[in-house]
Amino acid sequence: MSKKSENKMKFKFRGLKFLGVVAVIYTIVGIFSTDKLIKSLSFTADALEEVIPILAVVVFIMAAINLFFNPKALAKHLGEDGGTKGWLLALGLGILSHGPMYAWYPVLEELKKHGLRDGYIAAFFYTRAIKIPLLPMMIHYFGWAFTIFLSLYIIPAAWIQGWLIEKIEKFAPKR
Amino acid sequence: MNRFKEYPTSLKRSAMSLIMLSPMIVAIIALVGLTRAFMTKEFITSVFGHGAIADTLIGTVTGMIAVGQAIVSYIIGGELLQDGVSLYAVSAFILAWVSLGVVQLPLEAEVLGVRFTILRNIFAFVFTIIVAVLTVLSVKAIS
Repeated sequence: MSKKSENKMKFKFRGLKFLGVVAVIYTIVGIFSTDKLIKSLSFTADALEEVIPILAVVVFIMAAINLFFNPKALAKHLGEDGGTKGWLLALGLGILSHGPMYAWYPVLEELKKHGLRDGYIAAFFYTRAIKIPLLPMMIHYFGWAFTIFLSLYIIPAAWIQGWLIEKIEKFAPKR
Repeated sequence: MNRFKEYPTSLKRSAMSLIMLSPMIVAIIALVGLTRAFMTKEFITSVFGHGAIADTLIGTVTGMIAVGQAIVSYIIGGELLQDGVSLYAVSAFILAWVSLGVVQLPLEAEVLGVRFTILRNIFAFVFTIIVAVLTVLSVKAIS
């Protein structure tokens, strides 16, 4: 028996075609502007350098989710039975989360498989706009009042978005 | 306690999942690089200056296309304010920068589903404008 079948996981790359399209775009950019191509590659290298340690952490988090969160337990906190506590958790985790948005997708996919509600995901993504470590910078550029009002309005806006998405999904379920 | 013994296997499975998703992640990061090369500070500054309403929409759209650390959006936002761009537009710009992302749409759709991605981004777009307007109105009301 192969290792793949032992893990009951069919190995298949996702997004190869999309990567091909991006490679074509880079080729076109390179034809028209070598300078832009070099700059793009340099920014890509910087972004990779930033995201690789985060993805390593993501692997550990995903493994912990798989192991310690059974669907019943997750449903209680972040699934159908999550209720107000689930909303507060999603909003709070969004505020506390770090790193680029795309680094969070694999973790959310794993949690979704375990029953995480779509509304919570939407709320999580929107409260990510509140960056606690950057609040002093925001105050410096835009002032106290602006920072307080913006942060305060983001929270209900995040909750309403999540709530609306769930209402729409219930009203028009997937075929 | 037995669960901990299973952790290495679980870790291996998670690493496999991420490796399978790696072409998509690399593609998105490559797009991030491309966007950063084209969406320069000078370019972003040049697209504003069409009045508060149009600039608010421009701010939202520019913010959702631009990528990078949130702090960069504050710096650009501060410069836009100095250049006379309205606070409505700047608010929408810095909020869209973090909460919306055109570049990562393919990954979001692949991982969380097309319908969810469309709904989330439409709502995030609308609410970014609403939050920006409410924030500026509130600031003006108390000052």
